[in-house]
Amino acid sequence: MANIPILTLITLSPLLGILILLFTPANKNRLIKTIGIATTFIPFILVIWMFLAYDYSEKGVAFEENLRWIHMPLNTEAYQGQVSSYFIQFNYHLAMDGISLLLVLLTAIVGVMAAFASVHIKKRWKTYFILFLLLEVGMFGVFMARDLFLFFLFFEVTLVATYFLIGIWGYVGREKAANKFLIYNGLGSALMLIAFTLLIATAGFQVDQSVAGQTHLSYSGDLATILQNLIQPSESSVVLSAGMQKTIFILLLVAFGIKLPIFPFHTWMLKVHNEAPPAVVMIHSGVLLKMGAYGLIRFGLFLFPQQTESWATVLAILGVINIIYGAVLALVQKEFKLVLAYSSISHMGVVLLGLSALNEIGLKGAMFQMISHGLISALFFLLVGSLYERTHTTRLDELGGLARSMPFMSGILLIAGLASLGLPGLSGFVGEFLSFLGLFSEMKVIAVVGTLGIILGAVYVLRGVLGITYGPMEDRYIGIRDARLIEAIPMMALTAFIVLLGVYPTIIIDPLQHSFEQFLQLIKVGG
Amino acid sequence: MESVYSQYAWVVPIFPMLAFLVLTALGRQMKEVGVWISIVCTFASFIYALLIFIERVGSNVEDYTKGMDWIRFGGVHLSVGFEVTNLNALMLVIVTFVSLLVNIYSRGYMKGDERITVFFAYVSLFTFSMLGLVISSNMLELYIFWELVGVCSFLLVGFWYQKPAAKAAAKKAFIVTRIGDVGLFIAILLLYVYMPEHALDFASIHNVFTQPDALAAAGIGAGVTTLIGILIFVGAIGKSGQFPLHTWLPDAMEGPTPISALIHAATMVAAGVYLVARTFDVFHASPDAMQVVAYVGGFTAIFAATIGIAQNDIKRILAYSTVSQLGYMMMAIGVGSVTAGMFHLFTHAFFKALLFLGAGSVIHMIHQQDIHQMGGLGKKMKVTAWTFGIGALALSGIPPFSGFWSKDAVLAAAWEGHKGLFVVGIIAAFFTAFYMSRLFFLVFTGKPVTAAKDVHESPPTMTIPLVILAVLAVVSGFVYTPFNSWFGTWLEGTETVEHANYAVMAISTIVGLLGIGLGWLIYRKHAISSEAIAGKLPWLTKLLANKYYIDELYHAIIVTPLRAIGGALAAFDQWVIDGIVRGVASLTLLTGRASTRMQNGQVQTYGLITLLGCVLLIVAIVGRRLW
Repeated sequence: MANIPILTLITLSPLLGILILLFTPANKNRLIKTIGIATTFIPFILVIWMFLAYDYSEKGVAFEENLRWIHMPLNTEAYQGQVSSYFIQFNYHLAMDGISLLLVLLTAIVGVMAAFASVHIKKRWKTYFILFLLLEVGMFGVFMARDLFLFFLFFEVTLVATYFLIGIWGYVGREKAANKFLIYNGLGSALMLIAFTLLIATAGFQVDQSVAGQTHLSYSGDLATILQNLIQPSESSVVLSAGMQKTIFILLLVAFGIKLPIFPFHTWMLKVHNEAPPAVVMIHSGVLLKMGAYGLIRFGLFLFPQQTESWATVLAILGVINIIYGAVLALVQKEFKLVLAYSSISHMGVVLLGLSALNEIGLKGAMFQMISHGLISALFFLLVGSLYERTHTTRLDELGGLARSMPFMSGILLIAGLASLGLPGLSGFVGEFLSFLGLFSEMKVIAVVGTLGIILGAVYVLRGVLGITYGPMEDRYIGIRDARLIEAIPMMALTAFIVLLGVYPTIIIDPLQHSFEQFLQLIKVGG
Repeated sequence: MESVYSQYAWVVPIFPMLAFLVLTALGRQMKEVGVWISIVCTFASFIYALLIFIERVGSNVEDYTKGMDWIRFGGVHLSVGFEVTNLNALMLVIVTFVSLLVNIYSRGYMKGDERITVFFAYVSLFTFSMLGLVISSNMLELYIFWELVGVCSFLLVGFWYQKPAAKAAAKKAFIVTRIGDVGLFIAILLLYVYMPEHALDFASIHNVFTQPDALAAAGIGAGVTTLIGILIFVGAIGKSGQFPLHTWLPDAMEGPTPISALIHAATMVAAGVYLVARTFDVFHASPDAMQVVAYVGGFTAIFAATIGIAQNDIKRILAYSTVSQLGYMMMAIGVGSVTAGMFHLFTHAFFKALLFLGAGSVIHMIHQQDIHQMGGLGKKMKVTAWTFGIGALALSGIPPFSGFWSKDAVLAAAWEGHKGLFVVGIIAAFFTAFYMSRLFFLVFTGKPVTAAKDVHESPPTMTIPLVILAVLAVVSGFVYTPFNSWFGTWLEGTETVEHANYAVMAISTIVGLLGIGLGWLIYRKHAISSEAIAGKLPWLTKLLANKYYIDELYHAIIVTPLRAIGGALAAFDQWVIDGIVRGVASLTLLTGRASTRMQNGQVQTYGLITLLGCVLLIVAIVGRRLW
C-alpha cells in the first residue's frame, strides 16, 4: 500500500465518474444515475480498505503525500545577494491522521448514501451528478489537505458545487437559499483567507541555512511548517504577538463558526435545510457542517492551544447556548426539515462542549459526536427525501399516522429519532455522554446546564417523529407505498452504521489514539 | 462455593435478544411461529435464571463478576460486564418468570392483532433490556439498559399508535422519565469524577461508600454523597413513578394490558427501587438522602392511594395502586430496610401482575374499562374473579396472603424510629384495602351492567397464568415472616434478627379489614350511598378525581411557558438574528448601488468625488499632525 498514492486516489476518484459522465448523453437518465452511484463506491471501497489497513499504534500520521506544487520566486534584490533564494511555496500536501480518517470515512459513507437518495432528482441528471461528484472531491480534499492554500482551494470547491446544487435542484425558494448560502459562507471564507494570509506571512516564514553558505528564505503554506513555527519557534522564526495570535484565532473561530454553525451565525443553514434537495442536505448536514468543526480543531485548536485554553469557557458557553437555543426552537417548528435544522444546531453545540473540555474524553467525544451526527442527519434527510416523494409535504400539521401505510420507513425514522435523542445502543449516546463527561470534569455548572438539552432533545424529536408516524392517518395517504428497494438499501446501511457505533464505539475511537496527544501536551505545559 | 451457572449468567438476557432479532427479521409473517419463538426463548431464560437462583440459595456462594472494556483510551476505562449477587439473582427470576407468564397470556390477549409479531418482538426486547439492567455490573451499563427499558416501555405504551391517547401517553412516558434519567446521568458524571480511578462498578461503589476512610481519601464529602444519592434517587423517582414524576404511569395504561402487568407493575417500574437497593451504600452514607427517599416514598404511598379511591378506570386504579406500593418500597429502603423493600417488590410483582392480567381478562371480554359499566362478572368469569379476589386480598394486606407479610415488613421497619411514616403507611393501607374492595365489588358482584353479550371465561392461555400467579400471591410471602427470616438472611448476607411485632401486624390487619368492610358496606350492601358521601364533600371528590390537578399544574408552569419561550425565540431568530443578517446584506447591496452611481461616466461626478477625496485626505493628514 505504501507505493500507491492512496490519498490522491481517494480524493480524485470521483473525477473518473465526472469524466465518464461528460461523454454520456444527457437524456440517459438511468445510465447517468447508475454511473453516479457506482462512482461513489470507488472512494468508499478505498477508504474502507485504508481504514482496515490503518495502524492505530503507529504515532500520528499514517499516510502522507507531499509534492511541491506552486513555487513563486520573489524579488531578492533587497537582500543584495545575501540570500540564495526567496520564494513563496505551496505544496500539494495530503495526509491522513485519525481525525482525517474518520471524517473521510464519514464523507465516503454519506457520499454513497446521498448518491442513492439522488434518484429523486427530477431534471438535468448529468449536470447534477457532475456537481455532486465534484462536491465529493472537495470534501475529501478539505479533510486531507495539509497546506493552507490547498485547503482553501478544496473548501471553495465545496462552496461552488453546493451553491449550484441548491440553486438548481432545490425546492421553491432554492435561489434565495443558494444566494444566502453563498454570501454567508463567502464571508466566512474571506475571514478564513485573511487568517490564512496572516499565518503564511508570519508563521509560514522560514529561513533555511542547512547548506553552508546558502540562505533560503521562504513563505510556506505548509501546515507542518506553520505548526512547527508556532509551537516550537526556532531563532529565525517570526514570533507572533499575543494580540496577533488572538486576532487570527478569532478570525478562524468566526470563519469556522459560521460553518459549524455557532449561534448567532446559524440562520443561513436553516434555509439550506429547508430548500435544498434532500440528497444535498444529507451531505450538507452530514458532512459540510463538520468542516466547520474540523477547521476549528485543525487550525484553531492545534495551532493556538494557548488561545484555545483562554477561550475554553467562552466556547463552552457558546456550546450550551447552541444546545438549548437549537432545542427550544426545534420544539416549536411546524416544518419537519426545520426541526432537523435546529436539532443540528443543538447537536453541534454538543461538539463545542466536548472541544471546550480540552481533555481527551471531551475531544474524542466531540469527534464521535461529529461522526454520529453526520450519519444520523444523513439518515433523517434520506427519509425526508423519500417521504416528500410520497406526501409532497413535510409539514408536521399535514402529516400523521403514516406508520400504517409505510411501517418500514416509519420504523427507520423512529430509530433515527431515538439515535438523535441519545438513546444508548445507538451512536448518538456515546458522543453525547463522552462530551458531557469530558466537560463535567472541567466545568461542572456549564455541563449541568447543558444536560437540559437531553430532556429537550427527547421532547422535540418525539414531537417530530411521532407527529409524522403516530396518530390517525388522513385518507389521502392510504395509497402511499413503503420504501422501494433502492431507497431501503441506504436506509438499512445507515441504520447499521448507527447501531454499530452505538454498540461498539471503540471502532472509531481507536484511530484517534494519537490524534490529540501533542495538543494535550501543549495545553498541559501551558497550563 | 464455586459458582457454575453464574459464570454464564449473560445467556439469560441473550435468549430474548435472539427472539427479538428473529422476530424483527421475520416481519409480520408467521404470526403463530413468532409467538412461540418468543415464549420458548423466555422460557429458556427463566430456566437458566432459576438454575442460577438455586445455585445461589446454597450457602456461601461468592458473588461473580466479569467485565470487559467497552470504551477505552488513555486513562479512561468504561466497561460492560455482568455481576451475579443474591439481589440480582432474585430479580432475574422475577423478571423472567413474569415475562414468561405475560408472554403466554398475551398469546390469547393479542390474538388477531395484525401486528402481533411486532408486539412480541418489543416484549422480547424489553425482557432483554430488563435482564441486562438487572445483571449490569456498573452504573454506566445500568444507565444504558435503564434507557433501553424506557424506550421499550415507550414503544409498547404507544403500541396502538393510531390512538391519539396512546401517542400522547407514550410521549409523556418517555419525556417524564427522561427528566429523572438526567438526574441519574449527572449522578454518574459525579461518580466518575470523584470515584478513585473513575470506577463506576457497584463493587467499588460499595467499597468506597462503606468506608469513611476511603470516602475521605477520595475527597467525597457529606455534601457530595448526599448530592449523588439524591440524583440517583431522581432517576428512581422517574422510573418508579414517585411523586412528583408519577404522572406518566397512570397514562401509560393506554398500552395493552399485559404490558401494564409486565412493565408498569412487576418489573420496569420496580427498577427504581432496585437501583436504590443496588446503590444502597451511597444512601447509607448520607442520612439526608435516606430521609429524602423515605419521605418521598411515604408521601407517594398515601398520595397515590387517595387518588386511587376516586378513579373509575379499572387500569388506572391499579396504576395508582402501583405508584402507591412503589412508594411503600421506597419508604422501606429509606428507613433503612433494603430487605423489606425488596421483599415487597418480590410479592408485589406477583399479585400486581395478577391483578393487571385479571383486569385484562375482563377488558378482553367486555371491551370496557369503566368499573361502573361492569358488575356481576363473577358468575360468568369464575377463574378471573377468584384469582382477582386473591390478588386484591394480597394487595390489601390480609393474612396469610403474601402482601400481608411484605407490607408488614415495611411497616415494621418504619415503626422503628419513623413513627410518622408508620402512621402514613397505615392510613395508606386503609385506602388501599378500600379502593380494592370498591373495585372488586363493583366489577365482580351485583347486577350486570355491561352491554356486552356472551360474557364467558377467557381461554386457558390467559387463565393458566392467572392461576399460577394466584398461587404465588398466596404463598410467596412465606419466605420472610417473623417465624422464618430466610429471605432477609439470604439477601443481606447477615443474620437479620426480625422479632415479630405483633402490634404492627394486628394494626395493619385490622386496618385492612376495616377498609374492605367499608367498601363492602358501600358498594356491595349499598348501606351507605357513595353519592351521599360525594355530595357532602364535593370539592374533595373533585380534587381526587382530578388527581390533585397535578397534570394541569405542570401544563401551566412548564409546558405553556416552554411553548411561549419557544415562540418568542422563534420570532427573535427570524426577526432579530436573521434580520441583522438581512440588514447587512441589503446594506452591502445599497453600497454597491451607490458606488455604481459614482461610475456613471460623467466627468463632472468624477471630478467632484476626486475633490472630496482630496479634501478628506488633507483633513486626515493635517488632523493626524495636530494630534
